[in-house]
Amino acid sequence: MSPRWNKVGRDLWRAKLRTFLVVISITVGVFAVGTIASTRILFSQDISDGFLAINPAAAQIYPPPFTDDLVRTVRRMDGVKDVEGRRRATLRVQTGPEQAPNWRTLRLELNPDFAGHRIYRLALEHGTWPKEKGELVIERSTVAFLKAQIGDNIMVETVDNKQHPLTITGIVHDLYKPPATFSGQIYGYAGADTFDLLRIDKRFTELNITVAERPLDKQHIQSVVDGIKRRLENTTGRNVLVQIPPPGEHPATETANTFLLVLGVLGAITLGLSAFLVVNTISAVLAQQVPQIGVMKAIGARSAQLTSMYLVSVTIYGMLALLIAVPLGAMGAWAFTAYLATLINYTPGSFRIPIVVLLLQAVVALVVPLLAALWPVMAGARITIMEALNAAGGRGTFGLSLFDRLVASVSGALRVPRPILLSLRATFRRKARLALTLSTLTLGGAIFIAVLTVQASLSATLDEFLAYWKYDVNVNFTQPRRIEQLVEEVKQVPGVVDAESWRFGSARRVRADGQEGIDLQLVAPPAETRLVNPVVLSGRWLLPDDENALVINSEVTKEESDLKVGSEVMLKIDGKEHEWRVVGIVKAIMSGPTVYATFPYVAALSHNVGRANGVQVVTEHHDAAFQNRTVNALKQHLDGVGLKVAGTGTISSTRQNVESQFNILVVFLAIMAALLAVVGGLGLMGTMSINVLERSREIGVMRAIGAIDGAVIQVFLVEGLLIGLLSWAAGTLLSLPISRLLSDVVGNAFMRHPLTYTFSPQGAALWLGVVVVLAGLASFFPAFRASRLTVREVLAYE
Amino acid sequence: MFSHLFRNAGSRKQARQELPAGTFAHGNTHLIHLRRVVKTFQTAAGTFTALNGVDVQIDRGEFVAIVGKSGSGKSTLVNMITGIDRPTSGEVLVGDTAVHTLSEGQMAVWRGKHMGVIFQFFQLLPTLTLVENVMLPMDFCHIGSMKERQERAMALLEQVEMTAHAHKLPSACSGGQQQRVAIARALANDPSVILAVEPTGNLDSRTAGAIFDLFEELVARGKTVAMVTHDRDLARRVSRAIVIADGEIDVSPLE
Repeated sequence: MSPRWNKVGRDLWRAKLRTFLVVISITVGVFAVGTIASTRILFSQDISDGFLAINPAAAQIYPPPFTDDLVRTVRRMDGVKDVEGRRRATLRVQTGPEQAPNWRTLRLELNPDFAGHRIYRLALEHGTWPKEKGELVIERSTVAFLKAQIGDNIMVETVDNKQHPLTITGIVHDLYKPPATFSGQIYGYAGADTFDLLRIDKRFTELNITVAERPLDKQHIQSVVDGIKRRLENTTGRNVLVQIPPPGEHPATETANTFLLVLGVLGAITLGLSAFLVVNTISAVLAQQVPQIGVMKAIGARSAQLTSMYLVSVTIYGMLALLIAVPLGAMGAWAFTAYLATLINYTPGSFRIPIVVLLLQAVVALVVPLLAALWPVMAGARITIMEALNAAGGRGTFGLSLFDRLVASVSGALRVPRPILLSLRATFRRKARLALTLSTLTLGGAIFIAVLTVQASLSATLDEFLAYWKYDVNVNFTQPRRIEQLVEEVKQVPGVVDAESWRFGSARRVRADGQEGIDLQLVAPPAETRLVNPVVLSGRWLLPDDENALVINSEVTKEESDLKVGSEVMLKIDGKEHEWRVVGIVKAIMSGPTVYATFPYVAALSHNVGRANGVQVVTEHHDAAFQNRTVNALKQHLDGVGLKVAGTGTISSTRQNVESQFNILVVFLAIMAALLAVVGGLGLMGTMSINVLERSREIGVMRAIGAIDGAVIQVFLVEGLLIGLLSWAAGTLLSLPISRLLSDVVGNAFMRHPLTYTFSPQGAALWLGVVVVLAGLASFFPAFRASRLTVREVLAYE
Repeated sequence: MFSHLFRNAGSRKQARQELPAGTFAHGNTHLIHLRRVVKTFQTAAGTFTALNGVDVQIDRGEFVAIVGKSGSGKSTLVNMITGIDRPTSGEVLVGDTAVHTLSEGQMAVWRGKHMGVIFQFFQLLPTLTLVENVMLPMDFCHIGSMKERQERAMALLEQVEMTAHAHKLPSACSGGQQQRVAIARALANDPSVILAVEPTGNLDSRTAGAIFDLFEELVARGKTVAMVTHDRDLARRVSRAIVIADGEIDVSPLE
């Protein structure tokens, strides 16, 4: 090999620590990009393949209860490929030991033909399909919740308080269902015989249809479904609700993609910071090699030859980084995909590295560092021999610009010891390098603080949720009951301190052109309710004398953007249209599109004056255990007095569900923030190494005039800490817009509305600690090495 | 001592074309001709004139010492000849080449082929072995095959009696040994002109004398050598001394 290429290889080997630092820096960026890109591709492929494999319905239609006759009729309609009927019943299932039973919601789905069903196919993973009356299969993600296995009997309770043991014959995977950790519900599937046993109406309530042509064309699906809907409405004389999900797309795809997008942006930032590090490191290499560059030029080297030598060094860095980052990225993607699989309840495919990702990583590892290094390398290689030979004492001047003079006069006025003064002024000596280091650390810090701010915002959102709903437990009844009776009975249960009867229902907006909008939840609390504390965005909350006054939440305004305070709006409730006037808009907190009206007026509209179908309960203590105990006690008492409970819920379980999802998200964001912190720390270490290297002559002079080891270390330590503190201040400022954006994106992706933005001072304080430690370590080691050098060594450095 | 020096220097297959004798392309009759060269530097303290209208002529085969006190402008003068630095005004002509008109790229190629530069601190590249250091100029100028470069580098090392150390790194050699290798490196591309900046400044007097012998051998073989030195004793051994003081040529004889 020719001597110059030998030089390239040996220089890399000689500066092993620096080679290691820069390879790690590039690796971090390539790893981040590879992991996110690979996860995105693997996730998209697996979820898409898996979802299409279960043959999802193009649309779901909800006519009044029907039998197989209607299924057969619809199957013959134009454009329909296949149809199946389904019914879901909500029951309760006992979990935990008999002496301390805990009841959870069981969503039991009627499947008339397990062996032959074709739409939303269930995959039997263990055991057998139910054959006999009283048998069921359960969804795999609910097994841990249910604490039961194949062959076990579970006790279920129907809405008429009858308990029945059912036998688990198998475990299935239902890709269409969210995991139990997400929904907090248990999913079971049983045949018509079991529905008979449970005395549940076994007529279907849901038509799942697939279309014969263009299955991914939403417009075509809409036209087919419109035809079916018209015929069903004409036949039944009732409104028929229709849902057309995004064709061929798993319901969680959008959320997961947003999540991956956020992480992808962070990955790209990490890569950008890695590129900064490459600039710094290559500058360090060139700073050290300036005299050698001068000599090589003096013996005939051209700038292009020198440029190619240093660019080959960068390519070698990139190749080494690629070797490490590819397997690490693949493992990261595998872990990430496994996490998404638990979040979305899909089965990841086999371990593989997509070729596109491999190419992307190769391009990122080889091209990005080359681009980053191009300018410093070209500038270094273009240096004249004169400059090179005169630069041995270090380049970078101080004192010529106005800024320098300002720094000098301000630092001079501080009356600090001379060595610290030296540090203060040295910090601003190489402004471009300082800017790069500050950018790296600042961005790292800003993201770090932003991630913790997202966590704080989530916590604030949940607190707001708790403050919004002032009750602890809600109980829904199968039929409307007198409000006095409900409150009276509920208050007899130990642990209950307050209760209100509310009415719940659904409504749909009917626009002027006759078009119907989306389904809205109708909540009718007493106007003087103590159990809701709405955040009014405009207008006002309900008043006791209100009649057709309507308060809408911010989710409604997203769907019906023309609605404002004062708008007249037509709502269809129980099949009848009623005129309302919007009097206020409240903030939606962890709820979908909801409209609020006074209880007496809504009850009167549905001819149920003085009757409610829900009761909201305040318990003596607000912890999860107490709320659960009270729910059981309430259930037992209400059953005893003949009030049929349709469902129950606690605020703490809702909070727990949301928190558990977000905590994982925050962990992943924190991992990305940690990577950024590592890259920032490496950047600072690189900068301090160059500073020490370039100022070797100064160190020699300082030592020659009496500076002890500690004084030399102090000069660089103070400089490092000053850079760290500057970056912290800038990072804290930058984190304000970044954290707001991040909390909006995360909130919109996971909760359909932005989180309640709450800046995290703890995050800023924590980053201050991290940056001080990083800066301390990053500057101590180069300074310590410098303090070990003798005066003769440093003065003869060049 | 080095009487056998560079006996193979002209035996390479593709020897460079010698600069023509007589009048050169720019009307210069001397191999090296500096005409009214001025060099000024801008410093924080103001403008500093390092060379003030200097005229210098050096002929082929001359052994010239450039002497003067520190800061007199002697290194600047050498830098003008090697193209390491450019004049503020005036002309620098070396053979057929108007050095001051070359671009950086052209300058690098020209310097590699026509100038052998030797530094005070030897300036061998620390990560290359001695033989690799000698091969490096041939490598940059694409002279010969890899095998030929190796053979020529070994021949040059043999001539400076450094063959035994050929595969050592510079850090394993003494100052005198390193300077001998630096001379071999300066000769790698068989340049017409050797320029040395304080080549003995970092050596003891015995080693310095040996290095000086080497330069005399080179001159005997037809090379043109210009050497910056503080050492007036050594300066007396050259064929001519150019004395420079305060940026101007001092015409008074060397004492």
